[in-house]
Amino acid sequence: MSAAASTIAGPSARAVAWRRREVRRAFTFYAFLSPWLLGFALLTAVPLAVALLMSLTNYDGFNLDRASFVGLDNYARALMDPDAHHALQRTVILMAIVVPIGVAVQLGLALLLDQRLRFSGLFRTIFYLPHIIPVVGAAWVWKLFTDPNGGLLNALIGVFRPDTYVRWLVEYPTAVLAVLVIWAAAGGGMVIFLAGLQGIPAEYREAAMIDGANPWQVTRFITLPLLSPVIFFQLVVGVIATLQILQQPILLTPGITGISPGTVPQRDNYVFVGHAYTAIFVNHNFGYGAALLWILFALVLALTLVLFRTSRRWVFYGVEQ
Amino acid sequence: MRRVLRRRAVGRYALVVSVAAIFSLPVAWLLITSLKKQSEYAASPFVLFPAIPQWVNYQLAITMADFPKYGTNSLVLSSAYTILVVITSALVGFGFARHRGPGRDRLFLFVIATMMLPGLVLFVPQFVMFARLDLTNSYWPWVLWGLSASPYHIFLFRQFFAGFPRELEDAAEVDGAGPLRVFLQIFVPNAGPAIAASAIFAFLWVWGDYLYPILLLSDQNTTLAVKLAKALVDPRGNPLQTITMAGTVLYVLPLVIVFFAAQRYIVRGVVTTGLKG
Amino acid sequence: MSADTKPTLTAPRGIELRTTRRRLLAGAGAIAAAAAVVPLAIACQQQPATKKSGPAKVVVMTDSHEFGEDDRKALQDTAKVEIEIVEADLTRLYAMWAAGNPPDIFRVQAAGVPQYISRRMLKDLQQYFASSKLLRPDDLAPANNFYKSDGKTVGAGDLYGMVKDWSPDFTLYAYKKAFADAGVAVPSDAQPLTYDELAALAKRVNKKQGGKRTYWGFVHSNNDQWIDRTAMNMLAEKNQTLYSADFSKLVIAANPEALRVVRYLFDLAKDDIQQNPLDPSPNWMGADFNEGQIAILQYGFWYSAMAESDKTKGNVVFLPAPTWAGVRRDPTMTATGWVISSQTKDPDAAWAVFEQYMGGKPAQDRAKSGWGVPGLKSLYPLMPQETPFQKQVQKVLQAELKQSEFTLAFNPYIGEETFSTSWKKHLEPALKGSITFDKFVTNIEADVNAAIADGKRIAGN
Repeated sequence: MSAAASTIAGPSARAVAWRRREVRRAFTFYAFLSPWLLGFALLTAVPLAVALLMSLTNYDGFNLDRASFVGLDNYARALMDPDAHHALQRTVILMAIVVPIGVAVQLGLALLLDQRLRFSGLFRTIFYLPHIIPVVGAAWVWKLFTDPNGGLLNALIGVFRPDTYVRWLVEYPTAVLAVLVIWAAAGGGMVIFLAGLQGIPAEYREAAMIDGANPWQVTRFITLPLLSPVIFFQLVVGVIATLQILQQPILLTPGITGISPGTVPQRDNYVFVGHAYTAIFVNHNFGYGAALLWILFALVLALTLVLFRTSRRWVFYGVEQ
Repeated sequence: MRRVLRRRAVGRYALVVSVAAIFSLPVAWLLITSLKKQSEYAASPFVLFPAIPQWVNYQLAITMADFPKYGTNSLVLSSAYTILVVITSALVGFGFARHRGPGRDRLFLFVIATMMLPGLVLFVPQFVMFARLDLTNSYWPWVLWGLSASPYHIFLFRQFFAGFPRELEDAAEVDGAGPLRVFLQIFVPNAGPAIAASAIFAFLWVWGDYLYPILLLSDQNTTLAVKLAKALVDPRGNPLQTITMAGTVLYVLPLVIVFFAAQRYIVRGVVTTGLKG
Repeated sequence: MSADTKPTLTAPRGIELRTTRRRLLAGAGAIAAAAAVVPLAIACQQQPATKKSGPAKVVVMTDSHEFGEDDRKALQDTAKVEIEIVEADLTRLYAMWAAGNPPDIFRVQAAGVPQYISRRMLKDLQQYFASSKLLRPDDLAPANNFYKSDGKTVGAGDLYGMVKDWSPDFTLYAYKKAFADAGVAVPSDAQPLTYDELAALAKRVNKKQGGKRTYWGFVHSNNDQWIDRTAMNMLAEKNQTLYSADFSKLVIAANPEALRVVRYLFDLAKDDIQQNPLDPSPNWMGADFNEGQIAILQYGFWYSAMAESDKTKGNVVFLPAPTWAGVRRDPTMTATGWVISSQTKDPDAAWAVFEQYMGGKPAQDRAKSGWGVPGLKSLYPLMPQETPFQKQVQKVLQAELKQSEFTLAFNPYIGEETFSTSWKKHLEPALKGSITFDKFVTNIEADVNAAIADGKRIAGN
């Protein structure tokens, strides 16, 4: 009877305390998030909405007052646009090459340099250098490097096979692009993985070695699983970044010296954002370009969600998610 | 056993050296090219080394792009943004990693989603917004962005902090520490690598970005990145590649120094995230 | 693993906590200080906001190497206005227009003027020219016709801007060594070649050894960026154009003459005489000529300032523009210049800056540099004529200037590079054989006509 009486009388003290704790916990959570929440609401939300709105008009970039609402026309057009299809295909292929290989390279470098070797700091700096060279400079260097007439690459190969005259940028443009992107990003990823490796206590590895594991087994069964959140991070970031590549294909186009709107990359390097860029800056069709970019956004989002879904199987966090 | 270990160390060393050599070939090429004359630059047949190293290229790069002035601009802007964004992103990332609240997972996905926003299409609306607020031709956009935390850095910190074992907070909570104190006293001291990595990336982003400075800054307070892209040209506007390469080397040098100093911090010898042993 | 070799996380009470609290406060203080210093540093970097009613302010969007800090200061004194330079960038231009605050003056090329006029973005400057002492309408070089419009067509009518300098753009530069290597005589600089003769000549001096390129025979159109302008100039000799009379359609296949011109240009690429996607160079064609890799280059007078590199010195001949059908025409196809926006808040101040840049000391300096023909005929004598090469160039140039009164009929509904990007996009598969020449033509027509339709809708027709 007393139990029934207490339930009729109202929530118990314990329940109230629990509620209060939950509210406080939520408050703390949002307090930590407040910089981003405020910043997003004030700085990003409005431009985002406007950008979305622009994709529903035929805005040309100049006269906002002359733009008229066209509804989903731009999106329908994008779906029928053969150039957009081609561009999407090339972009996805590029991503499929660059991300797995790139992350593997970054991880390899980090594992290699996690030790205390002589001059390891120097080596880490050497590997990081490509990451700090501006995109324009890096692309330019690779363009020269692969030039058939005066480039170092053909000259080096020519030491083993004389009279090598491979026109890299003509016959294998995507390969050169992929190598450039992987090379430039390797150092950055290496730094991230090095930081991540620090989070793995040395005792775990040492304990395993004492138990008789060889370095490869330690890496496979201890280091990599504990590093999985960081690996996941690099994969997601890599996918997002690669699908949005714009400058490198333009800069690898022969005959040009800088980024100009009218540059048309090789057919194989015709990436999706490049197509949108042409629509906006060459054809002055801002609305259409915006629609293309929003379509890309949707695709990237979908892909990332898939990555998140599959991550439950192989990513191991210290705190339950 | 020791012989095996030494052989392994030597083998590893050889691997590192050879990979480093291949990796830095293009960079070496950049350095060599910066010392060439314009006529040796794209000479055919191929010219490996310059006849006489043209150190004057560096001098020209400094004067033509006004390194002191625009370098300072870049330094101020990069430092300001980096300090702000690392602090705020660490806070937000920590919140996502170690705290619970309604809608947390969906919010986190939303944050990641903002990383995918097509930058190109946001430029014009962002400019209009800043113009209406009369914040163009100033560094305020970067200050505001720094204060708002950045999705990439939030993601970075979140992943990093999520890897710490649960027991950390439990122990601190027993001691009666509040959430901010837990963050500052326990997690931050152990977050050196993540902070260093995040700081490097944030600094590098602003230092190397020319899209936003071209959009938002005037010729007087713009950054070195813009000047390097536009100033090292002949009177007709054609880029002078050898001087541009020299400019690139100088431009990258501060970052190299900063990185070399900071990378030690990322790979600290003894870091613990475990509990008392 | 003893407990004292590493810092423990469970803070023992008492002393430790006190130190950590002190450290905590110190840390928080440092962060707060940093956060306070940062905006201060920002403020110090900013220009003070000049909202006071002082001298008028003119915002100029141009390339900073064409109008740098020194020029700005000098002009501020002369024109008595405050000048702010914004680096020329299309995104920024869009953004400023969208924000309702476009630059007062901005830099354009002739090919862009029709579309700006059709979108009502430019201010009519005829009144200012009429009453100007420095920029008299009768003193204007022919290239300024590109900035004239009567509301319907470009070429005559009111002035909407002015050329900063220009060149007859269809002249040729011949590299004597390439001709010597092929045992072919260099053409005379007194008579123009025909385009057919030029192609035949180019084929003879074109040279490849194995796969390696020694000389490209004839390289033109700025690596295809200006391919439509070249085509238009050729067609104009027969009073024809690439577009229908009202600019509503690109017509190639249905126009035999246009088809012939396009075929000619396509074959130059196909026969490997012109730099093309299958045999490109990492550099732009001007640099390649300097390396002695091009036998005949088509560029305007401005290139003479750099044509003689270490490698090519003494070996360059400036030749008159070729003809397609025997009619001599050598206008400019770029005509870079300045315009004043229709939204400018202080047109008089903008004009003051404009006038000085176009007719004052900056204009004289530009003329003396030899990088282009001045926009004012009275400044012609300032062009350099000292070295033998410069003298030879001037000799040919004088004849060419007589043929430069013409304009090219740019389409007002599309962007400057719409045609050329379409050309470049379809050229690679066409050269590889994946599409036929006819498909190449129809693809370009489809792309450009779609863009024209979009542009017409915006222009409100």
